[in-house]
Amino acid sequence: MTSRTWFGLAASAALAVGLSACGSSDSGSGSGSGGTINGSGSTFAAPIYQQWGADLKSSKGLTVNYQAVGSGQGVSDFTAGTVDFGASDSALKDEEVKAAQAKGTPLNIPTVFGAVTVSYNVSGVPKSLKLDGATISNIFLGKITSWNDPAIAKQNAGAKLPGTKITVVHRSDSSGTTKLFTTFLADSSKQWSSQVGSDKSVKWPTGTGAKGNDGVAAAVKQTDGAVGYVEQAYALANNFTFAAVKNSSGTYVVPTLASTSAAGQGLKVPADLRFTAINSPNPQAYPIASATFVLVYLDMCKAGVKEQQAKGVKTFLDYGLGAGQAQAQKLQYAPLPANLLTQAKAKVSSLQCNGKALG
Amino acid sequence: MSALAAISPRRRRVDRAARGTVFALTLVALVPLVLVVYYLLLKGLGAISVDFFTQDPTGNFLGNPGGIKSALLGTLELVALASAMAIPVGIGVAVWLVEYGRTGRLASIVRFFIDVLTGVPSIVFGLFIYITLVLTGFLDGSFAGWKGSAALALLMLPVVARAGEVVLNLVPDGLRESALALGAPRWRVITRVVLPTALPGLVTGSLLAVARAMGETAPLIFTAQATLATSFDLNRRMNSLPIQIFSDIQNPKAEIVQRAWGSALTLVALILIITLVARFVAARRSTLTA
Amino acid sequence: MEAGTLPRGGRSSLERSPRARLPDRLMRYGLLGLALAVLALLVVFFFILVSDSQDVFAKQGVVGFLFDNDWNPSRDQFGALPLVVGTVITSALALVIGVPIAIATALFITELAPARGRTVLTTLVELLAAVPSVVYGLWGVFVLIPNLKPATQWFADTFSFLPFVGGTVAGPNYFIAGLILAIMILPIVSAISREVISTVPPDHKEAALALGATRWEMIRMAVLPYSRAGITGGAMLGLGRAIGETIAVTLVIGNATTIGKQIFDQGYSLAAVIANEFGEASSDPLHRSALLAAGLVLFILTLVVNGIARGFVVRSERKQKVTSLAVTEAEA
Repeated sequence: MTSRTWFGLAASAALAVGLSACGSSDSGSGSGSGGTINGSGSTFAAPIYQQWGADLKSSKGLTVNYQAVGSGQGVSDFTAGTVDFGASDSALKDEEVKAAQAKGTPLNIPTVFGAVTVSYNVSGVPKSLKLDGATISNIFLGKITSWNDPAIAKQNAGAKLPGTKITVVHRSDSSGTTKLFTTFLADSSKQWSSQVGSDKSVKWPTGTGAKGNDGVAAAVKQTDGAVGYVEQAYALANNFTFAAVKNSSGTYVVPTLASTSAAGQGLKVPADLRFTAINSPNPQAYPIASATFVLVYLDMCKAGVKEQQAKGVKTFLDYGLGAGQAQAQKLQYAPLPANLLTQAKAKVSSLQCNGKALG
Repeated sequence: MSALAAISPRRRRVDRAARGTVFALTLVALVPLVLVVYYLLLKGLGAISVDFFTQDPTGNFLGNPGGIKSALLGTLELVALASAMAIPVGIGVAVWLVEYGRTGRLASIVRFFIDVLTGVPSIVFGLFIYITLVLTGFLDGSFAGWKGSAALALLMLPVVARAGEVVLNLVPDGLRESALALGAPRWRVITRVVLPTALPGLVTGSLLAVARAMGETAPLIFTAQATLATSFDLNRRMNSLPIQIFSDIQNPKAEIVQRAWGSALTLVALILIITLVARFVAARRSTLTA
Repeated sequence: MEAGTLPRGGRSSLERSPRARLPDRLMRYGLLGLALAVLALLVVFFFILVSDSQDVFAKQGVVGFLFDNDWNPSRDQFGALPLVVGTVITSALALVIGVPIAIATALFITELAPARGRTVLTTLVELLAAVPSVVYGLWGVFVLIPNLKPATQWFADTFSFLPFVGGTVAGPNYFIAGLILAIMILPIVSAISREVISTVPPDHKEAALALGATRWEMIRMAVLPYSRAGITGGAMLGLGRAIGETIAVTLVIGNATTIGKQIFDQGYSLAAVIANEFGEASSDPLHRSALLAAGLVLFILTLVVNGIARGFVVRSERKQKVTSLAVTEAEA
């Protein structure tokens, strides 16, 4: 092989690299007639946002590129400005608001209500096992280690429980679902509240960590005796059995569309819409249900989002809070109750781009 | 006792037992290989279809999970760019070491650093690129395919340089001296005599580096990240087979897990093909120079 | 080509003009620049890693970071002991399981196998290295973990009197991670051992055999002692690989930020935590510096281990040279 061939090889390699780096039509910005918007965050809400994205693609040509990476990273990406919108199952904490204020005013816009199920995979344990908050806390604290523990048996008189050991599965990444679940546990158990607390990411006393609602679902599916917390859509899609959890009125409630909606009824929420519906006072409510939020800046363009993307995000939110609410029910997410819906819609119409209202 | 006395039965038994154990342990070493290949074929073949290679992963929660087109193309793109970065530099460093540095102090230092590079875990390379290129928002923006390629190139570099040095050292000095005696300038000797002679070995080393880079996941997690659609834009996120497999493993759905097996089978097949080609080239070289 | 001749300052006809020497200079200094750039790159990376991880060391101190058993990012606690312990345990398991098997394969291939089988066996062992980490992880999660659970549970129950054994076998755990790491380091340790064992001077071996030793005794007396340094070097290289392995480990170790009480508990490792948490750390400087600090620890650990490994391998090469020199002298 001569040096000429060498140069030829090198030149064609460089050419190929140059061509590919120049990019092609479909990528980051501006594919299709409606453009592309990028969002990331909650795996809790991923199924419904993907559904809305699919609907918008076929109706308006808008591509929604949503990365389900967990609420923690969603907040991170939103604050860093690497996405057009973020998604989190818990509204921004005070410190997170402060960090986000560097770019403008952050808004928390609730989109749908979802439920965190306590799903288990144990042969021999009946469906809708009755569990109260204290028992669930003790399971996740590692104090209750087998399925036929007296604390569980007491609430399920007549059920034949196997002696299988309990394997706890929790999230390894920063998760809004974790925040919702641990808020419930902290409310139900003083020991949980003082030892572990409630946050998007906590120091779990026991158990295996998995990434995303998907990962937890996968881990529960793979291990006999496993129990984990996953959003309802995931539990239903994988035919999980989940527990009937005792709510604040003392009733054991199974997570359903109705009990999830009930959690949102009669809620009083602050003006910045930072609320949680855990342990709702409504007697029919499932206690571990709450809203999930989309995070956007009030003035998106000033925060660094391009105008076309800002318009796309508004289209996405308009659809989600409009016709999308009916779609949500198909995936067992509850639509927002009327008063919340009005407040959310008001926030969306206030979105601006460099001072001008978005069309 | 004379040293030529018969071996006692006890010693014979120990000998046989020891040799048996060594043999058994060798078989044990091969069990994982057999099992991995078996399960790859058992669970992965079922996923292979035309759709598997021509559809992008849809990322849909319900319904058709799609195929692995973007992952496969992404891997090919990322590794191609990484090779373009690493192979010339690796060979260049090897040439310097053999032709100019030789046994000098600076050359020992360079060799030491190449050795250090060989031992660095791949995730640390990803971290390096992450903090220097991604966090600083170099050239607009966070994750980009070419940044992933840079991380892979760092991984490939020491492999190419090491293999290159070995192979270039094998070129007989006589060849160099004859060319010099004929009046060729140094650089011509290198490009027209040394490199072409060493070419098969250089190709082998490069192909082995490529095979290694194809299978790496950790460096890509926070450099090229992932995306679902097929993309030819290396300045944006790019999907890749290892990343797709990593994500699919953590999914509860059976079809997606099966897709992971199919992708794994594809990836291993690709790596095997490249490794076999590398060996073939190496074998040809040894028969040519024999 | 000049036609002039010398002594009074003319140029030799074989010499080239300064302009013609330019490409030579370009190549020489160009390539030197390349080599120096590689050095500089590594040094720069190291310094950036060190400086960007200062935040967490300022907050907790180096000792606090390494030895506090409290990894809780949401409360700004970054005690990495669970990670360090997990890395150490899985790597130790990998060595304990993998090195003896690797040495056995090396011995078998070089000493005991029939000549025809040698290449086949060598290729097979090296094929283990061709399987990427993520595929081992996939296989570990869906094949190894479920199939080994009964056996490992039986082991845990029967041998629970041993320290660190007993209790319930969690799905993913330290042991499975160590097992997969053992499989992954096998090719390296085996290759180096093979090379070292094959350089044992035949004289040593023949002497042992001539004195009436059995095959195994010959190996024990002549081969193993001679190759000890080299094999240790190979094992340390395997250790370095095991310490830095990320993907396979994070899939099968359980990602638990606590220190498990027994080898069948879930755990965590330095590399796994970086892969799992980098995303949410991107806008939290303290968390990010903690992950970078974990990366720095990994980097330094592998540097040290590989350095020691190199020392052993060089020593074994030197011994081989000395021995062959001595043999040549003796024969002279």
